[in-house]
This record gives sequence, structure tokens and C-alpha cells, in this order.
Amino acid sequence: MLEPTERITFDLDGRPVTTTVPTRRLLIDLLRDEFGCSGVRAGCDAGLCGACTVLVDGVPGTACLMLAVEADGRRITTIHGLAGPDGALHPIQHAFLEERALQCGSCTPGMVLLAAALLAECPDPDEATIRSWMSAALCRCGGGEAILRAVRRAAERMRAGQ
Amino acid sequence: MSAANDLERLRGSFAYAIDFALPGMLHAALVRSPHPHAEIVAIDLSQALSDSSVVAVATGADLAGLDPLQGVVVRDQPLLALGKVRYAGEPVVAVVARDAASAARAAARVAVRWRLLPPVPTMAAALAADAPALFDREAPEHFPKGPGAEAWREPARNILWRFRFRSGNPDHAFARAGHVFTDTYRFSRMSHLPIEPLCAVARWGGAAAEVWCNNQDPFLLRADLARIFALPEAAIRVHALPAGGGFGAKSYPKHEALCLLLSRLARAPVRLALSWDEMMLTLSQHAAEVTLTTAVSADGVLLARRGLLRLDGGAYADASVVVCEKGTYRSLPGPYRWHAVESLGEVVRTTTVPAGSFRGFGGPQACFAGERQIDAIARRLGFDPVAFRKRNLLRPGEAPWAGETPMDSDLEDGLDAVAERIGWKAPPPAGKGRGVAVGMKDGGGFSRRSLAVVKLARDGSALVLSGIADLGQGHERVAATIVAEVLGIDQSCVRLAPIDTDRTPHDQGTHASVGAAMVGLAIRRAAETVRERLLALAADVVDEASGPVMLEAGTIRRGNVTLSIPALFDRAFSPQGSELIGEGEARNPFDASAPLGSRCGFWMPSFAAAEVSVDPETGRLAVERLVVATDAGHALDHAGCRAQTEGGAVQGLAQALVEALAFDEDGRLANGTPLGYRMPSMLDLPPVFETITLEHGMGPGPHGAKGLGEHAVLAVAAAIANAAADACGVEIDALPLSPEAILFGRARVDEGGTG
Repeated sequence: MLEPTERITFDLDGRPVTTTVPTRRLLIDLLRDEFGCSGVRAGCDAGLCGACTVLVDGVPGTACLMLAVEADGRRITTIHGLAGPDGALHPIQHAFLEERALQCGSCTPGMVLLAAALLAECPDPDEATIRSWMSAALCRCGGGEAILRAVRRAAERMRAGQ
Repeated sequence: MSAANDLERLRGSFAYAIDFALPGMLHAALVRSPHPHAEIVAIDLSQALSDSSVVAVATGADLAGLDPLQGVVVRDQPLLALGKVRYAGEPVVAVVARDAASAARAAARVAVRWRLLPPVPTMAAALAADAPALFDREAPEHFPKGPGAEAWREPARNILWRFRFRSGNPDHAFARAGHVFTDTYRFSRMSHLPIEPLCAVARWGGAAAEVWCNNQDPFLLRADLARIFALPEAAIRVHALPAGGGFGAKSYPKHEALCLLLSRLARAPVRLALSWDEMMLTLSQHAAEVTLTTAVSADGVLLARRGLLRLDGGAYADASVVVCEKGTYRSLPGPYRWHAVESLGEVVRTTTVPAGSFRGFGGPQACFAGERQIDAIARRLGFDPVAFRKRNLLRPGEAPWAGETPMDSDLEDGLDAVAERIGWKAPPPAGKGRGVAVGMKDGGGFSRRSLAVVKLARDGSALVLSGIADLGQGHERVAATIVAEVLGIDQSCVRLAPIDTDRTPHDQGTHASVGAAMVGLAIRRAAETVRERLLALAADVVDEASGPVMLEAGTIRRGNVTLSIPALFDRAFSPQGSELIGEGEARNPFDASAPLGSRCGFWMPSFAAAEVSVDPETGRLAVERLVVATDAGHALDHAGCRAQTEGGAVQGLAQALVEALAFDEDGRLANGTPLGYRMPSMLDLPPVFETITLEHGMGPGPHGAKGLGEHAVLAVAAAIANAAADACGVEIDALPLSPEAILFGRARVDEGGTG
């Protein structure tokens, strides 16, 4: 039985890509296996832990719950597309490093992308908004407090234009 | 501060075990028992084998010729079920196929015919007079230990292990008591659920059987694989790849041997990666029932405690024996001065998910009960809970009993620190309650030996070889701090090498918070050996000056001659370069006078204070403020200490409020999916959450450092429960503190009971 496939084109971290995928293939598998995006971390496979968070046209989504074909025509941002072209850390990544807002690092790419989407939408979020937004991913190392500190620090920095 | 791995983690390019692949690798999937207790009558593999992508299938019959049982102290868990299953979720068949989806599809086509046996879902059911036995009972075996301690294997039906420790004369102490209190507490069990599940790739054949995995005990695993497959240890090579969290789930051998067997059957490399659902079926924390009888003098001095720590070990031993002994011996008495102690621990077998290592290793169970009861006693006798504790806490240098390490933290200082931050001296705001707790556990391992090697290259950079697995706890930074200080080089020039049992010096495993203190000491000694060799080399080579040779900030100085490390290497070894290698060792030796055969490496107290409110309508408990302090001895990495303390505290908070595995009446996991099992998110963090890293400077590690991995989790659940009891006048005796538990407790109080 020949598996149905579809040809898709999308923007992956700022570069256009075209590929043919089985229609039932998950976006997480496409990104990890075909495009080498190992920073799209695999976790619960149920859209709950948020480790596989990517931005779809700037909006966070869990790649384990998306079909690859859903990426067609979209702009997909992974953690690999966040640092500058010269490799310089994004201010959010920098704030995570300064606040040591990572332990095992499994949740880190998803958390950083969530924060990026939040601060793009809302540069000066209040505490309740930060907590609510960042609760879309889980840190099993219990590093939530440090992540909150990092998001606050990044927001300040980015507002100051640093 | 060296942060190379953290930079990779932030960029998303850090390679974890789950990212590892070999060319031509096959994929395995497991068929698990749907029944908690059943005999396997027949297994029909025909449908599965008809799938053209299936390469190999294994059942219990394929374990013939192996030594196929795993477990710590007691080995009772087969790699695949042998004729019988003892919990719902036990692996029965393994299917190997060309890709993971095909393996899963074929596994779903395996048909097993069962003969059901009565389940034994709870400790009460297991201990009932007519309970079915999970195992054919062997004759009980008695194990004398050090002074006051002894243990029994299989002392009664469905009791895997019993341990007893006695110090002083309890009868005499109880006879003098002004008050005696007996209370029973129940402790629910959590699942570890690290974001990265267990994962292994194995390759049989060639010069060595090779395993790449995220197990945190590469050398214990190597020895276990050697035993199971009757191979020399030297013919087995284990790579402990960086892990995405662990919390105990990745300690001691797990499914790696099965993966290696599958590779042997399939004649190709095989990957066996578990899902979150499967992780919940592989290992859990121990549920517990703890009964404490405590004698207090008329004026509030603790005299004696008799305790029973009964742990639900689930279907197989895993690490239950050691969890039981450690929790019973070292955590049940708590951080107090006693005239007499009698601690009994039991591991009960049930037809549920096996329990084993979980951060705190028996400590959280014992500390929850112990600190709940101390608080209850203080309040019953009209004493201030902080003042009552301080009066009875061990003082620095005071041993809890003969043959044990004297207290190496200032417990009063720690309790004062959290009490002050929570504002203990002033009454809580109306409608709120406050509680404190002091957690207690040992660290540093049991008659332990750790080895480390430091290699200094010509350019002054250093490589550290140490068997401590990277679970995200920050060992890289600790190692870099230690080596950089000894050799006077920059921390960014120090790297921790990947773990490969062919090359890494032996270590007994990433356990008991040994990383900073014990292994840190081995690393420090290795660096000091390199330093001595560097100085000896300079004394030999620099002959144009005389006098002592100094090493300052990475520069060699003798008289008025200064040389950089590269220049010294060039003069000594030619510009082709070489290395200076140093070995270091740290031991926690056997000691016949110690009840467990060796004294603990150090004590790991933690201190927590909580302020909570309880909604009288719904029973919902809100932790509004939480302060947690730990004693790092000496902080080698302040941010890392804070991260460990916050992380442990959040795990304690989760234990208190939200996380609990639920089982149906037959012992099947009822919430065994990521969506069914509630975990804490940012929304569960207290609005005010502070941590304090104390540096009492009395640990055995560099500059008095202690390990810090397990402290924080110990005190938090009890502090929150004590605050809840204070807020609503209910004697909290079980976790988690669900709204129902609070409301039912209140209803009992309103009916005139004691809560």
C-alpha cells in the first residue's frame, strides 16, 4: 500500500524549504529527523509538556500535535532560528543563562520560544500574564521560579532596547 | 563560569541520549500486561511476525541461558515476564522492527492468553491473612548489620524486607515520659516523569557489547550486564549520555539489558525508547504508611521515638531494600536528640508499579510523618513549634547515636533563617496559617569509592573524567570550579568528558547527592596530583633559578623566572605536546562501629516555612509564601545551589498539593497518562517563593562543601501540611492535601472529633 504524501513548502527559521511528506507524519518528526532540528525536544507526545514548542507564524504550538502538512505555507520558528545570524544569543536566551533558568535543559527551547512569543505580543506583561502564559510548558526540574525571573529580566532588557 | 553545555542547551543543539542513533538501528516496542496479576497461558506471535518489517520478537522464553533477574540487594525482576505478571504494565513481549511505528503496530498484534490471579492492590490487601503470595516464598533470611541494626529478607508473606535499628533503651525512656503520642500518616506516591524518558541503544557483538543510554549508573549497569550475559566486565562498554532529568527514574539498571538481548536476537543495533506513559509503568516513588510513637518529658524534651516506616514497594524489589534501610535508619528519627530510638522499616509487595529511587530516597516519606508529628505534639502541648524544635535539635558536632557522623550543620541557624523570613514572631494574617519543618537525610553514599582523573593539556586546558552522570544537576560547573581553582586556570578551559566505561574511571553511581562533595573531592585530589606533577616538572626543567616552584594564576614561577604552562610543556616535552595526568580518589570507608556498616558522608538538612490560606467553601489550599533553606556547606556554584534548592522545593510542593498516582481497585494505574496525571506548572508556584543557601562549612567536600541534590524536597510537604493544619485546625495526616481531604477533615472537626 502506497502511503499518501503531499508536497509542502514553508519557511523554516528564515529559509524556505520544500519537501514531500507522508500526510500522517507529525511535524515534530519532520523537523527532528529531516531537518535536524534536535532543539525541538520530544517529551510527552500529548501536547502537554511543551518541550516540542515551535512558533507557527509567531504563535506557539506543540509540534507533537501538528501534522507536518499543516506547516505548508507557514512560517515555522524553532529554537535554532532564534539566535542571531552571527550566533549571538537572543536577549531571552541571554536572560535564561544569567538567571540559570535551566537545569537539564529539556524544557529550555520550548520555554525560550514561549517567552519570545509572549514578549513579541506584549512587551510589558504583568506577573499574572507571565505566569499564565509560561504555564503552557512544564519544567520537571522545578525551575519555574528561575524561568519567571528570566522572562522578567528579558522583558526589561528588550524594552530598554538592549 | 564554564557554561559550554548550558549554551548548547539554550541553542537547542545539546545532544541527549534520546537524540542518539546508529546507522542501521532497529526499533523495539514492548507488549505490556493489562492485568495486575496473571499467569501467561500462551503467547501468539503469528500476527506480529507476519509483518514484513518485524525482525525479531522476544518473550520470557528467550531469557533461557541468561541470569535474567534485576534488582538491588534482592534480584527478582525478570527482563520480560517469566510465566507470570505481577502488575498491570509489566513487559511481556518485545518486538523489534525496522522503524518505531512498525514495532508498535506489530506489538499491538501480539495476543496473550491469561489465567487471572487475584490482585493485591494495596499494602492492607498484601498483609491480609488470606492474601495471595506474589512470590513463592523462600525461607526468611536474617542479616545482622552493625551495632543496633539488623534486617530480614521475606520475613512474612508479601513482605520483601524488614529492617530494624535500635539505639538506647526505648522501654526505659518511655517509662519516664510525661506524654506519649502515637500518630499514623499516609504518603502518596509520585511519578518522576523527567521530560526525557528512559532510552537505550544497544549493539551486541564485535569486540564488546555496547550500550548508549541515559542511565545514571554506568558502572553498576556494566557489572549487571556482565552478570546477566556471563561476559567479562571489560567486554562491555557503557556510554552514559547526557540525560534530560532523572529524579531517580534513571538510577540502577532498567531496560538496558533487555535492549542488549534484543540486539543479540536481531543481529543489529536496537533502540528501546520509552514513552511518558511507559515511564509511569516502569518505576514510581514509594507510597508509605508511617506510624510514630513519641515520648516527651513533661517539660517538652523529646525522649524516645518508635517508628514504623511501611513502604509500598510494588511488584518488584528494584531499590526498595536500600530506600527502606536509609529512610528508616537515617530519616525516621529526624534531626532531633533522642535518648532512645527504635525504627522499623518494611517493604510490602503489591501488584502495582515497582517503586524505587526517588529524590530523597525514603527521606520524604519519613520527614513528612516525622515533622507532622513534631508539629502536632508542639501544638498539643502548647509549645511554639519553632521553639520546641530548637530545644530538641541536634547541635553541631553532636552525633545522633554512637557510630554515626556528628551533625555537620547548624540546624538552629537554618530553622531561624526560614522562620525569620516568614515572619514567625508576628501572628499570621487573619485566615492564614503558618508551618515550619526540618528535613533530614544522609548524603555521600554508603562505603563509597569515587575515582576521578584530570588531564592537563599543553595549552593549559583541562579535561575531567568522572563517572557522575549529567542529569542537568550542573556537575560540569562544579568540576570546572574545583579544577580551575587548583590549577589556577580559567573555568572556561575545563571540560567534563563524556562518560564511557572504557575510559572514565570507576564511580559507584550518581546517588546520594555525591557529586559536589564526594566526587568533587576525588576531582580536587586529581587536580592536586596534576599540580604536584606540574611543579615537579618545573623544578626539573627550570634549572636557571633555584628555590621553591610556585604555580600562580596558571603561571609557573621559580625565583625570577616565570613560564607559562605551554612554555613549560615545550621545554619538557618538545612542541609536539603531551599531557599531565592526575588521579584522585575519595572514600567513605567501611566502619564496623557504624550501624549500617559505614558512617554517612554528611548530613543533608533542609528547612521550610510556609504560609497558606484555605478556602472554607471549597477546601482549596493556596500556598501564598514558601521559604526553603538548604545547607550547601560551601557553595561551589551559587546559582546552581539555588537551582537545586528551588527544584527540590517545587517537587515537595507538588507532593503536597497536586501530584499523586492513582490506582483503581485492582491496582491498575488510573491516571497513567500525561493528561491524566496532574503536574505543577508556573501557576502552582507560590506568589512569594524564596530560597536560602546556607554555608555552614562543615561538609567533607572542597571548602566544606556538601551535596545539594536531595535536601530541599524533604521539608516542604510537611511545612505546607503544618501550615494547613494551623490554618484550619485539622490534623492533616495524609498527602496530597486535596480540597476533599481538607473539607472532610474540617467536617470531622466540626462533628467534635480531633480532626
